[in-house]
Amino acid sequence: MAIFQKAYCNYSGELSSIYARPLVIFRYSLDSILSSRLFLSFMLVCLLPSFAVMCVIYLHYNFDTLMQLEIPLNELVVIDAEFFATYMLRPQLFFVFALIMFIGPKLISPDFRNSALSLYLSRPITKTSYVVGKLLVLVSLSSLISWIPSTLLILFQASMVDGPWLSQNSHLIFAVISTSLIWILSLSMMSLAISACVKWAPVAGLFFFGIVFVGSGFGALVNELFGTWHGKLFSLFESLAVVVQATFRLDGFSVVSFGASLSVFALVFTLSTLILYRRIRGLEVVS
Amino acid sequence: MDVTTKQVEKEKIKESHVLTDKSHQYRSDDSQQLAVAVETDSTAREKQTSVSRSSNKESPVIELDNLSVSFGKPVLNQLSAKVDGRCIGLLGPNGAGKTTLLNTLLGFTRPSGGTARIFGYDVFKQKNKVHGVIGYMPERDSFISGMTGIRFVRLMAELSGLNPRDALERAHEVYFYVGLGEARYRTLDSYSLGMKQLAKLAQAIVHGPKLLFLDEPTNGLDPPARARMLNLIREIRDSGKTRIIIASHLLQDVESCCDEVLVLKKGKIATYCNLEEERQNNRKFLLLQVRGDEDNFVNGLREWGCEVARPSRRHIKVVLPEDISIRHLYALAQELSVQIRQLDHKSDSLEDVFFRAMDSE
Repeated sequence: MAIFQKAYCNYSGELSSIYARPLVIFRYSLDSILSSRLFLSFMLVCLLPSFAVMCVIYLHYNFDTLMQLEIPLNELVVIDAEFFATYMLRPQLFFVFALIMFIGPKLISPDFRNSALSLYLSRPITKTSYVVGKLLVLVSLSSLISWIPSTLLILFQASMVDGPWLSQNSHLIFAVISTSLIWILSLSMMSLAISACVKWAPVAGLFFFGIVFVGSGFGALVNELFGTWHGKLFSLFESLAVVVQATFRLDGFSVVSFGASLSVFALVFTLSTLILYRRIRGLEVVS
Repeated sequence: MDVTTKQVEKEKIKESHVLTDKSHQYRSDDSQQLAVAVETDSTAREKQTSVSRSSNKESPVIELDNLSVSFGKPVLNQLSAKVDGRCIGLLGPNGAGKTTLLNTLLGFTRPSGGTARIFGYDVFKQKNKVHGVIGYMPERDSFISGMTGIRFVRLMAELSGLNPRDALERAHEVYFYVGLGEARYRTLDSYSLGMKQLAKLAQAIVHGPKLLFLDEPTNGLDPPARARMLNLIREIRDSGKTRIIIASHLLQDVESCCDEVLVLKKGKIATYCNLEEERQNNRKFLLLQVRGDEDNFVNGLREWGCEVARPSRRHIKVVLPEDISIRHLYALAQELSVQIRQLDHKSDSLEDVFFRAMDSE
């Protein structure tokens, strides 16, 4: 029967698992983001640091090529934890910040602006499924430019070195994954929470940028005014540096402890979750 | 689609006739006197039916058990009812609690007391099961910007649990069914108001829900679009596969689609009745248009034992006792020098049921 001649009828087919519903939200959100050429170009730019690091590692272990390029061996950087933290992870995590600022606000704000939440939440999905679906978009894209290439690069380095390099530096894989995930999850949740509060995506993006950078400035001001170090806790970048230093086992001293830095990220995550829990609802509450 | 173009045209013509009648929006306080004339023992009957109207042994469509919702002050106050019609109209003046009841049934608002069940499932404790059997068409524009119509409906189908292939197929079917087939690849932002309403209906029925909530489905529609929407609602109702709850301010829409109405007033159920039964049981009355000393005329009628209401200054609604005929009315009018300019035989409409409910304590 032609499609336009069909009458109203119920659906009698099988239904998907309720736990698969966040993946529907993830798939559709991801699809709309990947339809932007600007974003795809940005993703390619984000992969450039990883590509550069890969080239350095390759050249490091290919003397013939080095000789052809006339690069003296003594000028080569030492490939160790410091190298991976400084030249690989830090640029990547900065790009993660930019990526989340770029797409995070576009995920929830439009649903608020167009009152779409009542449509989502009148279906068999929960608030948690909705947030998880949106969060997966940020986590997956951020992972693509952070810990996934980093882990591959570490494995690449291991493959280039003779001897037990990987077993001696196995903590690097843990450091890369854990640091990246801490950064990605806390920033993603913060971005989603802001986009749940601000209906206009560009303004939400500015808010996100403001909170991260103004937080650092405010912390510096607190330190100056009161002659204390506690202002550093307002800076997410400062906390990230401490986490990187601790997980990569780098030398150096920071007045902010590793525990305090982790607590900052935990606090950001918890506050964002609470905001999302309060804001994501089927009906808009006008106070 | 079952209905041919000819049938659709017929329905449109029928609807346009109905639309030429006066507006059935809520009327002024004066007109609420209508209720007095038709106040019969049916009020008591309604109150009884409001307690229980379950017609079969299965779980009723909606079961309210002392349901209360409070936002600082009570909005819904210990509602108890079993609703089991094919198409139920949810009526009430502004602030009566219609939207709150709808939001509670959808699981958006937590009850402060009592329970509400849909097909036996608790709307709050078994939210996912409830959401699995319902479809919801919100009153306001609710869309996902930048999406084409078909993609939007497909997404909603997948969220309801359909696999991507079935969801796409159903989305196309439903889009043609509501009459938007040609516009399915246009973005929702480019739709007119009428098209948006139809797209909202499409997303609400794409998964074939057992219960469909329609919140002001004809809001902002022009007469042909409104006729089309009402026609679709009646078709869905007549399919027998989906029960419908319509919250609307337009009594005419409710009357044309619903077989039962639930009227809320100040957070309480004012009445719950079957419209067909009401139509059969209601007494007929006379609607007079008079000119002259109306007050004396009304007093004279009351002295004869007539039930009288005055919906407006010149209109009088009269239920005659058995021993009084129309001839007596003319005699009285002549005696008091009152002109009877118009006399019609009428029976209660939904409007009367509504205003009677509003008048009852």
